[in-house]
Amino acid sequence: MPDYGHDLLFGSFITPANATPKAVVGLAQESEAAGLDLVTFQDHPYQSAFLDTWTLLSYVAAQTERVRLSGNVINLPLRPPAVLARAAASLDLLSGGRFELGLGAGGFWDAIEAMGGRRLTPGQAVDALSEAIDVIRGVWDTSDKSLFRVEGTYYQVDGAKRGPAPAHDIGIWLGAYKPRMLRLIGAKADGWLPSLPYMKSLDQLAEANAIIDEAAADAGRDPAAIRRLLNISAQTGPPERWAEQLAALTLEYGFSGYVVMGDDPVTIRTFGEEVAPAVRALVAAER
Amino acid sequence: MSADHGHPLRFGALLTPDGDAAVERARLSEELGYDLVVLRDAPAALDPWTLLSWAAARTSRIHLAAAVPTGDVPALLGRAAASVDLLSGGRVTLLLQGSAAHLDEAIDVIRGVWAADRSPLHFDGRHHRLAGAERGPAPAHNIPIWIAGPPDLAPLAARKADGWLPTSAATSAAGTVPGTALSAVAAAEAGRDPREIITLASVRPAPTLRAGDLLPLVLDEGVSTFLLETDDPAELRRFATDIVPALRAAVTCERRARGVAQSGTPVASTFVRRHRREGIDYDGIPAALASTAIEPGDAGYARVRSTYLRGGSPGLVLRPGTPGEVGQAVLFAREQPVKLAVRSGGHGISGRSTNNGGIVIDLSRLNAIEILDKATRRVRVEPGARWSDVAAALAPHGWALSSGDYGGVGVGGLATSGGIGWLVREHGLTVDHLRAVDLVLADGSLVRADESENAELFWGVRGAGANFGIVTSFEFEVDEVGPVGFAQFAVDATDTAGFLQRWGAALEAAPRDVTSSLIIGQARPGQPLIGQIMAVVDADDAETIVDRLRPIASAAPLLDYSIQVVPYEAVMNAPQGPHDAQGEPVTRSALADHLTPELTEAVARLVASGRTYFFQIRAVGGATSDVPVDATPYAGRSANFQLVAFGPSRRGLDEIWDGMSHHFSGLYINFETDLRPERLHDAYPEATLRRLRALKRRYDPGNVFRDNFNITPS
Repeated sequence: MPDYGHDLLFGSFITPANATPKAVVGLAQESEAAGLDLVTFQDHPYQSAFLDTWTLLSYVAAQTERVRLSGNVINLPLRPPAVLARAAASLDLLSGGRFELGLGAGGFWDAIEAMGGRRLTPGQAVDALSEAIDVIRGVWDTSDKSLFRVEGTYYQVDGAKRGPAPAHDIGIWLGAYKPRMLRLIGAKADGWLPSLPYMKSLDQLAEANAIIDEAAADAGRDPAAIRRLLNISAQTGPPERWAEQLAALTLEYGFSGYVVMGDDPVTIRTFGEEVAPAVRALVAAER
Repeated sequence: MSADHGHPLRFGALLTPDGDAAVERARLSEELGYDLVVLRDAPAALDPWTLLSWAAARTSRIHLAAAVPTGDVPALLGRAAASVDLLSGGRVTLLLQGSAAHLDEAIDVIRGVWAADRSPLHFDGRHHRLAGAERGPAPAHNIPIWIAGPPDLAPLAARKADGWLPTSAATSAAGTVPGTALSAVAAAEAGRDPREIITLASVRPAPTLRAGDLLPLVLDEGVSTFLLETDDPAELRRFATDIVPALRAAVTCERRARGVAQSGTPVASTFVRRHRREGIDYDGIPAALASTAIEPGDAGYARVRSTYLRGGSPGLVLRPGTPGEVGQAVLFAREQPVKLAVRSGGHGISGRSTNNGGIVIDLSRLNAIEILDKATRRVRVEPGARWSDVAAALAPHGWALSSGDYGGVGVGGLATSGGIGWLVREHGLTVDHLRAVDLVLADGSLVRADESENAELFWGVRGAGANFGIVTSFEFEVDEVGPVGFAQFAVDATDTAGFLQRWGAALEAAPRDVTSSLIIGQARPGQPLIGQIMAVVDADDAETIVDRLRPIASAAPLLDYSIQVVPYEAVMNAPQGPHDAQGEPVTRSALADHLTPELTEAVARLVASGRTYFFQIRAVGGATSDVPVDATPYAGRSANFQLVAFGPSRRGLDEIWDGMSHHFSGLYINFETDLRPERLHDAYPEATLRRLRALKRRYDPGNVFRDNFNITPS
């Protein structure tokens, strides 16, 4: 069952360069004007050439009206989950439900430790991410009137008041490649957000989808509830050919979100104005 | 000593971070003339930092602060604060809360992140450890760090903060929290001037509150910033209209009576002053320049210290915004016993535009471009504009002005010396389009120079202008230019001499509507030596473009190419952003009439020697040769080519280049870093140099403008 039937999302992936803050905000606005659904920024808080991604997301949300925003993906090790949950709900409320939480376990441990963060092994990082998802959902769950307590291995919350609750069900999308992370997506997350250039082959996409699906079923979840998104490189050929390839990824590999990487306004316009409508038409016709 | 330091009074709104309503109240506060908004932390309310970032995007003038804990990773808070400061144009204050022990370390970490220092940040504290974190970004302005907390944090505030907001629970009869005057002793013990630190007080609105209730806090407890603690728009309004003006008037009156000077700008903080350099009278900087000046301890320093090709550590960067301020900057700088550099876009090679420990006059704020007369295509351009800006401004009129070949270059440095660009063979040098200038002379005066007024000075500006003053306005006559063909070719340059001869011959034979340049680097292991050719054809039909390019592309075996028809402004488009070069470029340059077999073989030997890592030839000739040699100081009117070599070492490059001198017919000053006096004679014929020296003696006898391609007075 390759196509999970989600509506299609098209997005941009803008370098959060602090040398040119106005240009970064401008590209986000261009993305909205081009009809894209989503604007995303990478989050490498140890990188001094970048604007703080959280601050930037909040600022850009206030300077746009329709487009949804996400980290791609937010660096968990330097952003404690209870604070992150409250910040995410805040941004979702301020923006009228336009925020999604792309989240990653972290990878550059030397740099994380240099900043004053905690070094974890890759295995520990997956466990910490799993705990963090529980913390985040716990903060958001204002239907539960009890004080929020967590006694985790990696995170502790000591009787905090829950809330605020976000404006909409924020999707937790994980950047993931390895089986344990993929199984975590199946068990707990709302989406998968890998980068196509990191994948060895299309077969690997199918294998990963199968792992997510199986883990979802094991957890008693409908695998179709999990959205599959993909960061992709810009293509130079005619937009129609690009659209055909993406439509095939939707129909045969189940992807329903495409985020084009790069800071070229022409690519962003082409992607939003030509490629996205063409993919939608091709997929609608097939469905 | 009085607790009142005469700080300017400021007023803020202390708001609950409860979403859209808080944003609306922030906007109202801005409208009502408040100086700042502070978002306090409240359980289950919105995250103050997210709301602050959002509110920054929805306001334009008001300053913003959010009460935040320093958290587990204060370095990240430093980056976040710098980020919103950059996004908001310098409107952020950091208001920290927490225990003294944590704050003490966190403030050091945050200041360390903001420091304009290239070394990695190490910090080994009890609560926080950093092991070689990257520093930066530098914020847009010196973000004040304020501490809010109980009185026992006062000594820490005196040592490390820029502001102190005591949050004692005690409430006076007036409904205000009394300020706890900072201990001047604690500040002095930390080597600080107590006037560096402001004291804040939060005020609860009450119907009975009068300005007179707040007056003693200013006069006796040194409070200068009041935060009105309310979410009620009516209270915000009443305080702004009833209390603020009355308190200002009362304070002014009382301060006068008590002989307390009201300072417009606060005393520079210890954390800024400790980076000052010898020989500069920082306290004497003219008031008009002080607020925009950047010194080594200031936040913006990392963005202005260096240039495109040169690392620098100036002691002071002055950023005048008007010709009058340029005059004040010159008068101030000439009295300081340090170097003086002048910067427009920061791409100077011979014009140093930065230094070590000296003063830089940075003209980037003087960047206006305006059309003066459509009929004669007369435009006025200020020196701090970049050529990409000029191209973009002229494009809607179907006009262009041949400048350099890179849009990031600034107007001032190029338009005072030559200007060899993509339309040079058709339309001549940039200086050939110059019709008038306004310039500030070494005595600080502003003069106009054109063909009739100060004509000799106007002559001197068009090829040696940096020696006589700082041009604050250029008037050009520009050309009609439509879309152009822009081509890039990669060729096999193994037969270097043959390639250069064929390319040179093709250019000399070509119509004037084509201009080209080439670059040769060093071969990569296992690959042939690559030559890159770029060419612009002023035509938009494929047939003409291909016709012009064919002989040029045939100069060597073609490996790759691209040809586009684009607006001229697209060719000049260049990324924005600060420069951060390190080190000092080593170059030699020359003009040549022809690329003879002897010259090209010498170039081939130079390239093969490894003593140049970047060698470039630009086509000149064409329209430049229509102008008589004595019409401008730029004298290379017979030259068809301009050559420049960048080398890893001065001695290595000079050794070979000096031996090539008999092939050359002159020198274009902008690409030359050799400081030996002979270069002056290469650039200027004897008669030209005599006139230039006479001008120098008349307009700058003290050689104030010397850190450039310098014409010594005698």
